[in-house]
Amino acid sequence: MNPLNITRSDTASGPVLHVVGELDYDQAATFRRHVDQLVLTPGQWLVIDLTGLEFCDSSGITALLAARQHAHAAGADIALAAVPAKTMRVLTIVGLDRIFTIRPDADTA
Amino acid sequence: MGRRGQGADPSGTGDDAGVDATFTALLEDSAEELYESAPCGYLSTLMDGTIARINATLLDWLGLDRAGVVGRRHFADLLTIGGKLYHETHFAPLLRMQGELRGVALEMRTAAGGKLPVLVSSVVKYGTEGEPLLIRTTVFDASDRRSYEEELLRRRRDAEQARAEAERARAEAEEARRQAEDAQRQAEADRARLADALAVLQQSLVPASLPEVPGLETAVYYHTASADRLGGDFYDLFPLDGTRWAFFLGDVCGKGPQAASLTSLTRYTLRAAALHDPEPTAALTTLNAVLHERYAAGGDPRYCTAIFGVVEPGADGRTTVRLASGGHPPALVLRADGRADYLPTPGGLLIGILPTAPIGTVETTLAPGETLLLYTDGLTEARTGPGCDQLFGEDALLAFGAGQAPASPQETVSALTKLLRGFGDGLDDDTALLALGVPAARPHTRPATNSPS
Repeated sequence: MNPLNITRSDTASGPVLHVVGELDYDQAATFRRHVDQLVLTPGQWLVIDLTGLEFCDSSGITALLAARQHAHAAGADIALAAVPAKTMRVLTIVGLDRIFTIRPDADTA
Repeated sequence: MGRRGQGADPSGTGDDAGVDATFTALLEDSAEELYESAPCGYLSTLMDGTIARINATLLDWLGLDRAGVVGRRHFADLLTIGGKLYHETHFAPLLRMQGELRGVALEMRTAAGGKLPVLVSSVVKYGTEGEPLLIRTTVFDASDRRSYEEELLRRRRDAEQARAEAERARAEAEEARRQAEDAQRQAEADRARLADALAVLQQSLVPASLPEVPGLETAVYYHTASADRLGGDFYDLFPLDGTRWAFFLGDVCGKGPQAASLTSLTRYTLRAAALHDPEPTAALTTLNAVLHERYAAGGDPRYCTAIFGVVEPGADGRTTVRLASGGHPPALVLRADGRADYLPTPGGLLIGILPTAPIGTVETTLAPGETLLLYTDGLTEARTGPGCDQLFGEDALLAFGAGQAPASPQETVSALTKLLRGFGDGLDDDTALLALGVPAARPHTRPATNSPS
């Protein structure tokens, strides 16, 4: 089980969280803590960069939805960037591909 | 002793007698001296106990003078009160009866008020006519013996105390052991009660058994990954009216008791909603509204995926199935001709996220010998290799279904159960399977006949 590693960078449009590792039941709480600490302003974009995401189960999906709610509560928006094919397949099954803004990579402003 | 005994014998003759006499003269210049200064007390009394003679040793032990004793005191007067009592009730009567007593323990009283433990031996002297004349008594200082006996007694008391303490320690250990056993029994009872409670809760998540549906065959499988056996997967099958039956299967996000409470809410919401409006889409829409209001509005968003169906067996064996799905993996149909197909429900969304959720629908017909399979992603997400991304997957499930088709619901679930067991530790999520199908037309079989031989 690889530990989840989350780093943050900032762009002109808002913060980017780079998620590396497995977003499962054991690690989802770590991700949620990082998101809860983010201060967002209306109109900003919170980008979750999933380039390094190795695994994502239903707890991970829940954590992504919590991030979406956190962004919307601040009047900000959220985008998932560089979603791995396997996670994209899961997102599609549960219909979240139409709920999240999906970007090919984190740099796409 | 032998020599001295011989020496005391006046009939002794020869050289030996002469030597003995010399010794005697050396050691004891007179019998009187021996009587008075012997290392034991001597006294003689009349038969009524009046002291007639007493030696210096005994007078010295008792601190008395001869003039105050001889002819004035009785033997019993020299004893303590306890000794006197014993003398009157036992010693004197026995002595009169037997003529002698040996080694009787008594206590004498000293002039200073102390006690002297002694061993007393008495012999009655008789006259030529056999009449008792007087009593000769020897008194041995038994202080040392008494202290020895007291020491023995003390040691015995110590030993008994030690034994009692050992007994008490053993009893305490026994008590502790019994308490430990009680505690263990209690823990086992608690565990059994908890297991019973969990079993009851578990039955609120999935039915203990499915009802019989005329014209349909059904089969289920349920596996919980959590140690408390409370899962996040659920399913049910129940009648809507005389001709239609509703069924559903789903998966709530999360694990353990929290997931189980959500599972229970979901199951009963779907059942109640279906009785109100039997349209598959309506049941899931109601569930979405309930979950969103209950959890997301309170800042604790929780979601589930579910597939809900209504099945209506037809008179010709062809059965209509209408499905609605909220973000759930597509149902699989095993056709009679050996094909296997997914029934996608595009547009459906995870239930509980948005105030109004889009629901995807699909409809199909099951011919005799065809089976519809609903499953949770514990099956398709089961890890088939050491890596996280080596999952069983939808393509493999489709191929597996095609390999089984045509298959009855029971055959399908049995084959998948065997497959799941083969995953071992790879099956790390809850997994539910629900299959329903139209029984195949009974193949023509030749009746078995007994051989005449």
